[in-house]
Amino acid sequence: MRYISKTRLLASSMLVSASVFGLALAAEAQDATFVVSAQNVGTPSYNPINGTRLNDAITLIFDRMVIQDADQTFHGQLATAWESTADGMSWTFKLREGVTFHDGEPFNAETIVWWIPQFAETENAFMTAAIESVEVIDDLTVRFVMANPDPNLLSNMSSGFMSIPSPKAFDALGDDFGVTAAVGSGPFKLESFTVGQETVLSANEDYAWASDLSENQGAPHIKTLTFREISEDSTAFLELSTGGVDLLYSVPTDFLPRLESEASVQVGTMPGTGLFYIPINTTVEPFTDIKVREATAFAINQKEILDNLYGGVGSVANTFLIDSLLAANVDPALRISYDPERSNSILEDAGWIMGSDGVLEKDGAKLQVALWTQNGTEFKRVTEVVQAQLKAVGIGADITVFDSATINDQYRKGTDHQLAVRSYSWANADIIDWFFSGQRLGYPNVSMWNDPKAEEMNIAAMSGSRTWEERVANFTTYHEYVLSQYVFAPIYQPVQIYAYDKDAISVPEAIRGTRLQSQTVVDITVN
Amino acid sequence: MTAFAPIRTAIRSPRGGVSAAVLVLVVACALFAPLVAPYAYDIQNLPGANTEPGAAHWMGTDEFGRDLMSRIIFGARTSLSVAVTAISISVAAGLTLGAMAGYFGGWFDRAVTAVVDLTWSFPEILIALILIAIIGPGLESTMVAISIAYLAQFTRLTRAQIMALKNETYVEATTNLGAGHFHIIFRHLLPNALTPVIVAGMLATGDAIILEATLGFFGLGAQPPTPSWGAMMSSGTAQIFIAPWIIIFPGLAIAITVISINLFGDALIEALDIRNRLRSV
Repeated sequence: MRYISKTRLLASSMLVSASVFGLALAAEAQDATFVVSAQNVGTPSYNPINGTRLNDAITLIFDRMVIQDADQTFHGQLATAWESTADGMSWTFKLREGVTFHDGEPFNAETIVWWIPQFAETENAFMTAAIESVEVIDDLTVRFVMANPDPNLLSNMSSGFMSIPSPKAFDALGDDFGVTAAVGSGPFKLESFTVGQETVLSANEDYAWASDLSENQGAPHIKTLTFREISEDSTAFLELSTGGVDLLYSVPTDFLPRLESEASVQVGTMPGTGLFYIPINTTVEPFTDIKVREATAFAINQKEILDNLYGGVGSVANTFLIDSLLAANVDPALRISYDPERSNSILEDAGWIMGSDGVLEKDGAKLQVALWTQNGTEFKRVTEVVQAQLKAVGIGADITVFDSATINDQYRKGTDHQLAVRSYSWANADIIDWFFSGQRLGYPNVSMWNDPKAEEMNIAAMSGSRTWEERVANFTTYHEYVLSQYVFAPIYQPVQIYAYDKDAISVPEAIRGTRLQSQTVVDITVN
Repeated sequence: MTAFAPIRTAIRSPRGGVSAAVLVLVVACALFAPLVAPYAYDIQNLPGANTEPGAAHWMGTDEFGRDLMSRIIFGARTSLSVAVTAISISVAAGLTLGAMAGYFGGWFDRAVTAVVDLTWSFPEILIALILIAIIGPGLESTMVAISIAYLAQFTRLTRAQIMALKNETYVEATTNLGAGHFHIIFRHLLPNALTPVIVAGMLATGDAIILEATLGFFGLGAQPPTPSWGAMMSSGTAQIFIAPWIIIFPGLAIAITVISINLFGDALIEALDIRNRLRSV
């Protein structure tokens, strides 16, 4: 029997302890914590097919067929190549080989055959509405037979809503998919998700199918990634400046001077994909009168909001689409730009008389309306300024603040709302269909607008275009008609601002894609 | 001794005098806000947002360029009216329920006690938040929520008083003379049980101001542009590094008002010798 001396035993123990401690530190060093955009706080699910709101982490858990870069070009992710016939009635996709979902299930042509029909009768059905059937050519090739040409197909397929879940897990979990578990093929696996609090992800060590937008073609450098949900921007800022979190997906512009003065904080900007606006409920008095809607829309001083609330960062919104979209190039006469004289004149002609309290009156009724908004500093600030701007033309507005997670349920529940301050983030003209289609009254069509002429234009734009150019023309016409009916008031187009702790993580200088998504996150390293 | 004698005694004490003076000032601000405030509370001047305290704006301006001092003065009206109305409702309901439960006893007493004990076991803020979630945000909802949140303490206090008083000889005598139950409760018992409840109500008003501010902080109280100290602090948190005065001055207003109410309440308790009376009960 061999005896080990006490000294040797002690030295060995210390060595083992040091190794374990070192490993623990190394593991911890690969962890990072990000904060989701305030507008995504409270997103209830990671189900891309049924969801109407998606968390920033969605593209990390799931892959998409294609990804759109900032220059609007498409790059393959789970698809390696694609082509369509000249008449647009058939699309063929070659699929990536060797891809597996987090549950070990293989990704192949059968996955696509299962996946496309899942969208039927969901809020996102429009994305696949043009696809009549999916045919398997071989194990890694599929053909979409189209019911009608859809020049927007690739754009839809690059959306987070067309992320591809594991068929086996999706079917097994049913309504719990995305809530209790979410299984995709993305660079991160979902470990836990608590609505309104946090999402914990772990690196998918088998990941080897990043798109060519990513430098890192293997597993992500970050091993454990936590997404925290913080609705208050100042709290998120404090967390970043004190080292509690490593990256903020979205930063309000009024924090820029303060963030830029922090030695450890790096701020970056990307072109915006969002727009703030006021949907006007066209089914409730006094907004059944187009004249009152027009006066309301022209009472909003977009420049004042841009300059004073956003420090001039971003741009004013005069239409319903972000400026980078071709369908935003509408007839200048239809753009909605601040014109208080026009508002005053319209209301005066319509018989509204100024009351002693500065609110217009007609037939004994005051022009006093409800103005809804959601929790969060930015929304509340914009809403208070809008309230004052409406008051300046004699429209009284009573603000009601709803929790950001429940405000959409409020729209679904009742139809008596009048005005609201809302925002969207979407880089495609089909957002007009989403918010103004007569098929989606209540939510997302908060304006409750159901106009036969608009529905015809909607069909032409959504499913009647054979080429991209034709689609742009149809959407421009549809957009112009929406503008002419004053079913909303445009406010502001933000840029995307993100900030991170440069001592803690390194983020690529050029963000690839239209947003900070998986293609960039896999390249982020922990310092 | 007149009804005002204890108040005069309380005011004569140093802490009672100082706190009473502050409270008179706050109430005067609330009552005469349009005359006292240098500016309108809702007129925005966005280019002048976040102006530091100075000659033009003694307490600076908020993120919309509104004069902060004017908003604090008008905010006194919101805070005091909500707190006083809510506590008055709560005291009235608590007196009635507590008196009936204490006097009649039996199943009614057991039912009231069970409900009161149940609500007593939850923090007031939780009860208020649940109620506002049901009713919806707004000033009226805040009043209702606060009055229900504080109902338990007044009911319990009144019940305890009535249970002790109903066995007094003068009550027996009144009963033997043929007086009805409601006559005994409202003419003989409640007047004698009233003082501790009123003082408790006053102290609860301070707590109600804090509760109103808390609900306002969460955006559940007064809706913009109506100024509320809590909501002003809430919007100030976003500006804390740029314009800290937006959060400091409303915070000071709440602190000074609540401390004054508590100090005056303490002085009143001493003047009325309530602690000894409650011990004897």
